[in-house]
Amino acid sequence: MFEAIVTGLIAAVAVVIIVAVGIALWNNRRTPKAGQVKAVKQLDTVGVGTSPFERHSAALSNKSGEVHVTHSGHGSVRKPADSLRSRFVALGVLAGAIFGSLTVKLYSLQVLSASDYASDAEDNLYSNVRTPAPRGYICDSQGVPIVKNRTSQTVLADPDVVDDRDVMRRLSVVLGIPASIVRQRIQDSSAGAQSKRVVASDVRLRDVAFIAEHADAFPGVSVESRAVRDYPYGALAAHLLGYTGLPSKEQLDVEVEGREILSTDYVGKSGVESTYDNLLAGDHGHRRVTVDVLGNVLDVVSETQPVKGSDVYLTVDSRVQYVADKTLAELIAPEGVLGEGTGVGGAVFVMDVTDGSVIALSSYPTFEPEQFTGSIPTDVWNLYTDELAHAPLNNRVINGLFAAASTYKSFTSIAALDYGFADFESEWNCKGYWDGFKTGSVQRCWDHSGHGKLDLHEGIVNSCDVVFYEIAKAFFDHGPDGTGEVSATAIQDVLAKYRLDQTTGIDLAGESRGRIPTPEWKADHWRDYPAEAVWRGGDYTNMIIGQGDVLVTPIEIAVAYGAIATGRIMKPHLLKEVRNAAGDVVVTYEPEVVAEPDVNPDYLSFVRSALRGVITDNASTAKNFEKYGLEAAGKSGTAEHVDKGDDAWFVAYAPYNDPKYVVSVVIEQGGGGSAIAGPIAAKVLGAAMDVYTEKSEVSPRRLAGYSGKAVEYKTQSAERTD
Amino acid sequence: MSVPQIDSIRMPDRVAMNATKPRRFTRVPVPFALVALTLIVYGLVVCWSATSNDPDFDFKRQLIGVALGLVCMVFFYRFDYRHFANMTTILLVINVVLILSPHLPIIGVEAKGAQSWIKIGMQVQPGEFAKVTVVLFAASLLARYGGTLDDAREYAKVVGLLLVPFLCIMTQPDLGTGLVYLFISAVVLVMGGAKPKYLFITLGLFVLAIVAVFAIDEVIMSNTGEYKLLKQYQRNRLLVFLSPDANTSAEGYNLAQAKIAIGSGGLFGKGLTQGTQSSLGFLPEAPTDFVFCVLAEELGFVGAMALIGLYVALVAISVGIARASDDLFGMLIVCAIVGMWLFQILENIGMCCGLMPITGIPLPFVSYGSSFMVVNFCMLGLIGSVWSHDSALGRKGSYGA
Repeated sequence: MFEAIVTGLIAAVAVVIIVAVGIALWNNRRTPKAGQVKAVKQLDTVGVGTSPFERHSAALSNKSGEVHVTHSGHGSVRKPADSLRSRFVALGVLAGAIFGSLTVKLYSLQVLSASDYASDAEDNLYSNVRTPAPRGYICDSQGVPIVKNRTSQTVLADPDVVDDRDVMRRLSVVLGIPASIVRQRIQDSSAGAQSKRVVASDVRLRDVAFIAEHADAFPGVSVESRAVRDYPYGALAAHLLGYTGLPSKEQLDVEVEGREILSTDYVGKSGVESTYDNLLAGDHGHRRVTVDVLGNVLDVVSETQPVKGSDVYLTVDSRVQYVADKTLAELIAPEGVLGEGTGVGGAVFVMDVTDGSVIALSSYPTFEPEQFTGSIPTDVWNLYTDELAHAPLNNRVINGLFAAASTYKSFTSIAALDYGFADFESEWNCKGYWDGFKTGSVQRCWDHSGHGKLDLHEGIVNSCDVVFYEIAKAFFDHGPDGTGEVSATAIQDVLAKYRLDQTTGIDLAGESRGRIPTPEWKADHWRDYPAEAVWRGGDYTNMIIGQGDVLVTPIEIAVAYGAIATGRIMKPHLLKEVRNAAGDVVVTYEPEVVAEPDVNPDYLSFVRSALRGVITDNASTAKNFEKYGLEAAGKSGTAEHVDKGDDAWFVAYAPYNDPKYVVSVVIEQGGGGSAIAGPIAAKVLGAAMDVYTEKSEVSPRRLAGYSGKAVEYKTQSAERTD
Repeated sequence: MSVPQIDSIRMPDRVAMNATKPRRFTRVPVPFALVALTLIVYGLVVCWSATSNDPDFDFKRQLIGVALGLVCMVFFYRFDYRHFANMTTILLVINVVLILSPHLPIIGVEAKGAQSWIKIGMQVQPGEFAKVTVVLFAASLLARYGGTLDDAREYAKVVGLLLVPFLCIMTQPDLGTGLVYLFISAVVLVMGGAKPKYLFITLGLFVLAIVAVFAIDEVIMSNTGEYKLLKQYQRNRLLVFLSPDANTSAEGYNLAQAKIAIGSGGLFGKGLTQGTQSSLGFLPEAPTDFVFCVLAEELGFVGAMALIGLYVALVAISVGIARASDDLFGMLIVCAIVGMWLFQILENIGMCCGLMPITGIPLPFVSYGSSFMVVNFCMLGLIGSVWSHDSALGRKGSYGA
């Protein structure tokens, strides 16, 4: 229909041109005749009037008087054009060149390259819009979702809306947010200078509808329905789950097979969200739309729906995790204020020693991942970065480095047995102090009154420092500074077997590795102070009780104690399985043995029985563990600091004869290990065993994140009470 | 001003004119009128299509322009153009006043960085209307020399006078319209019989002047840190013209979109009002400067050729009228008008397809803009006047003889 009209129109134009040119040619042919006729007629109309122009021109012409009419002699039929024939030719050539070149150019554009330009026009017209895909859920080992999605109506504004006071006032009224806050949020460029600014999330549908209906009154304002992370249990397992946010420049630049990250996508920033980001992220939906020059969508041509990301099932049990999180919070900040409770930070880690499955991973102070979705609010950020807040974003389980204290004694006693500096019958006498190197600076046992006579078993049970000082002295005396029978790193070699200077390989980013001090390390560390760089006897005695330069992470100690319990170092892992959007299991985690330390089984069972004694032979500790019906083995530790409170350690596993779970607890500046960390270890281990024996009555509820409130912490005790 | 007057052009007094009413006065030049009518209708259809999707443009204003244009055309057609012959001085004064009028305090309007508009009831561009008076001024100036201008001093004087309208328009500034004036002047110089040697010297000086402008601009740039003579957008346009693909400025975008519009039209086009480039806003200034792209996109190569064909016919018939004219002044008027159309067509279509640098010059009979529509109707009227008063002019020829 339309084509017909156009064709008709063009045909009409063509006919007109042909007719017109024909008539013109016809007239031209007759022109000479007409001219002659004219010439005849002209004769009788000769006569020049006295027009007003006449005088003027005559006067001027008289003045100059040198202009002549050149063709005056050539008869009346002569036209001015005749003497300028060549110039008409030039004009004709010019016109011909102009129209010719335009025609050629148009032919090349419209006929020869038409298809190229047609596809360019389509590129203009059509636009591929990616629709965001919801991320997969994160569930615990029982399949309880601990991270879900929900839709949030989000009101966004272009950055330049900040210049429009009227629009900001309207937004303020509709959303019920003070105008100053609206301004502040629009000015917040933390998500990128050009990005739209989030004015409000979780806006009520009726407010969203109002804005949509009165779009004219809200230029630059748009409403999006976004799938955002939902955390039914609040701060539960915050550190291990991590949080999501808009991708950083580096994340956008990284190319991963089968993964497309847009600047508007939410990507994992830490924790499991980050480790398994590629699994959790879905496939974008594609929508081919026609757009105008401003990018307004006019029509949807085709569409594929987004595919939700895979669900990640963790080995974590939310009940045990809940107990761990809650217990830590109640101990450290009972009223939500850091510094008013015991300690300034804490870590609890529970692992299945048989396969490395992480049952709980808790760190305090904690945060609510939901607050960190999108961009981190400035007020929260300011609170959390304050020194008194003690770094809530740090996952103390994997990157908190503490002196191992007496928890080291299990490993150093294996070294003593290994090198024969102690056997099952060796006896030492503890007077409460020790000066084996005769330097005059007396080293004290934690029990200043002295333990009296003890063997190695009692030395471990009572955590007697003097026993280990004596062993250290034996190593020193037979080392390079003495007889030279054993190497300077004899103890360290045994510690290294338990990988206390290696990362455990847990599927979380940012893991720290512990430090086993060696002469080599010390020389390097103090290279600028040669006087301090010497490896002395004091280094032996410090190291053997896990003090001095020793550093470990709670997860390293737990994994190493798992190896004492089972003889195998397992790789800790959070992933149990991955299920795709259809619910099929696509990935199942296979347990991985990292190493089997080459240790005499007799020594191992000796240490195990000593660790059992730690639980049974100390009255208060025994009571703590009996309360939960646990047959546990374990070790306390109290890491001394010169300038601040002691870090309380407790590491334990249960059941003693058939180990299932290991737990490590650290309370930063909490005080004595048995008194402070012990009860927590018992409680969490009890919760884990209840789950194992299916007697658990815990039902997790929503946990609040750390508020960020803090007061200065008064150190409770500088005295060790191992 | 001292301009030699030629006694070969004599005006019949009113009594004589009334007595010798031109034979063809009530008739119309049929082929010319036919082509012009078709062109106007075709242009209006395209303009309607180009404005149909753009609320910023009101097609009714174009129709008002046509109505006003018809009135002006009839006026010029019935008016004996020879009355203008000796009004050289008056025409020059009118030119200067008209072109400088946007600088006047109350009626002058500044838009897009140029003082090119006046507001008298509706907003008009006096620089456009001045094209009519520039044509008449240039033709009347050259007509005095009877087709031979070989005196150097006279030639210099003529060139100097012809430059006046150009210099005036550059105060606005409006380089596009200024170039039209220059081209009109050049055509009149050539057709008016200026000595070829002088013409070539003038051309050489013109090129030198352009080089000088750039050179001085560079000096200014190195001293003050910014270009003063040529505006940045003018530089961009030249850069885009020289390397269309490398440039990402707004001008480069415009050219790219214009070429996409033209090229995607293909042989038969996408159909009236169906052009995606123009109707969805990818094509900037679609109804005005880039209206040809709308035509080419919607009606294709065939439609574009139809327009070119109509222009060819219009130019051919006009040149025929010029050649047939017994009067040098009339011939020069028609040639000047033809020159103006040729230049505007070349520049407008040329810039759309990348043959010429971008300048804001409208396409005759098609571009949206009532001022230029009225001007084109005046031009048609003038040509008709030359044609219709042709027979009466024999007297002049005989007078000269």
